[in-house]
Amino acid sequence: MNNRRFLFWTLTPGFAVLATLALISIAGALYFSVMDRSLRYSDYHFAGLYNYQRLLSDRRFLNALQISAIWEVVTVAGALVVATLLSVLIFETVKSFWLRNLICFAFLAPVLLPRVAAAFIWRFLYSPSLGLINYLVGLTGLGPVEFLADPSLALMSVAIVDIWQWGLFFTVIMLKLLETLPKDPIEAAQLDHAKTWEIHAYVTLPMLKAPIISLALVKAVESLRSFDLIYVMTGGGPGTATETLDLYAYQAGINLGGRISYASAMSILLLVLTTIVFTLIWKGIRKWAV
Amino acid sequence: MGRLIRSSLASIFLALMVFIALTPILWTILGSFKRLKDIVTPVPKLFFSPTLENFVTILQNPSIRQGLGHSVIVVGAAVIIGAILGVPAAYSLARHVRALKDDMQFFVLSLRFMPPVAIAIPFIVLYLDLGLYDTLAGLILVYLVTTISTVIWLSVPAFERVPKEIEEAAAMEGCGPGEIFLKFALPIAMPSLFGALVFTFVLVWNELLLALTLAAGNATLPVVAASITSLGKEVPWGVINASTVILVIPPLVFIGLLMSFINGMMKPARR
Repeated sequence: MNNRRFLFWTLTPGFAVLATLALISIAGALYFSVMDRSLRYSDYHFAGLYNYQRLLSDRRFLNALQISAIWEVVTVAGALVVATLLSVLIFETVKSFWLRNLICFAFLAPVLLPRVAAAFIWRFLYSPSLGLINYLVGLTGLGPVEFLADPSLALMSVAIVDIWQWGLFFTVIMLKLLETLPKDPIEAAQLDHAKTWEIHAYVTLPMLKAPIISLALVKAVESLRSFDLIYVMTGGGPGTATETLDLYAYQAGINLGGRISYASAMSILLLVLTTIVFTLIWKGIRKWAV
Repeated sequence: MGRLIRSSLASIFLALMVFIALTPILWTILGSFKRLKDIVTPVPKLFFSPTLENFVTILQNPSIRQGLGHSVIVVGAAVIIGAILGVPAAYSLARHVRALKDDMQFFVLSLRFMPPVAIAIPFIVLYLDLGLYDTLAGLILVYLVTTISTVIWLSVPAFERVPKEIEEAAAMEGCGPGEIFLKFALPIAMPSLFGALVFTFVLVWNELLLALTLAAGNATLPVVAASITSLGKEVPWGVINASTVILVIPPLVFIGLLMSFINGMMKPARR
């Protein structure tokens, strides 16, 4: 087998399947977004940009857009802050090899849980009448806190579960990254009597700039997949306090009479938004990190 | 003295974080062996007479048994096909493609930017028309987007780590590209590739949205688990805990593998 044939037969099948499926879903969503198709009726007609116009004046959509943006920022920043602080702390205080590994094992467990399972576990913990957390809150004398039923707390309560999974996972990765760094710059800084936090703020973390940015990007992409967690924990409620875009699109496209076209328009807007933002960030990082 | 206090404070804090990482999981496992009267108590109970009732309920429930079966079929097929199509593509990308490599890798990554709803909604209509709605085959097809792209994305670095000299030596001996791939690159990269497959498995095993929208009639385990909450008026917390435990076991088995995968990825690439 010569080189060109080998290349063709290894690359084409995989990429063809990917391209076809991606094309079908994007073309399909675009097509339905300019129709008035719903699951209830089988006939449909051209509706132009009607769905998009309605979206822009749909307050529930704008609310979902805002919730999604808050969710992205809180979960990405939260996971990175937790990972940075914890990994530096472990790096500085835990010197024994097996103890470090033990901590890493404990921190890896949450991210492996299916989101549905994590959601149930925390719903149980948050429960006002029988949850462990509210028992602890009760010991301090405060009444039961409605973590998931209070509109001002619900989104943050769900975000904490996400950070519990990803922040601890990233801690392990950051710790491994810190371990791979050369020792000389750190020792040089120690000779200059730099404080421990100064060494990390000015020497080690800047050296890890590129991988930390990639971690942020990975988290930002994964945070788009918040559906499972929110669907099981709050179902978007109370009211629409935790309704992100994918949840609203699901509700509109499947639950509320199956307004396929309306939900398609929504997913197209979501797709355009995420593709533009992430492509810009990705290309920007490549230039900046090199 | 100040140093001692600070280091013991750090140890206490770290112990607390390990506690926060593990307690929710352990508490759920404990809860799965409790009778409802031991769960609905004002003071959480650490000691109780354990029961297997919840697991019996779960395993006798036909929808959960079917869900487990569906999950195994769908996830198994999607990961295996993903590996067959993705691993050779990743090898060619790593070794033979020069000019378009970055763009092709970006295309693979950009599929991950696609919101799952944007995939689900057009496919609902398409599958309704084609008669693929509520079928496992339809779900496997859609999962291929996730499995192929994740396998490619994670396998390219694994092949880049294979020492080039070995492949060059084999080429000098007159081996064709296919032979080099199968006999040399694949076995050497196998440990990291296995990690990539495990990661892919966990991603698909945990997936809810597509399974819920495209194959609710042939529900996979996450869909069945998500629907348990709405069983009657009294929330069967013991049963929920038990089904959570069953859902959690397969991914948690791989924790050691994930660890060695991370360790392998972090080593600087050999040139």
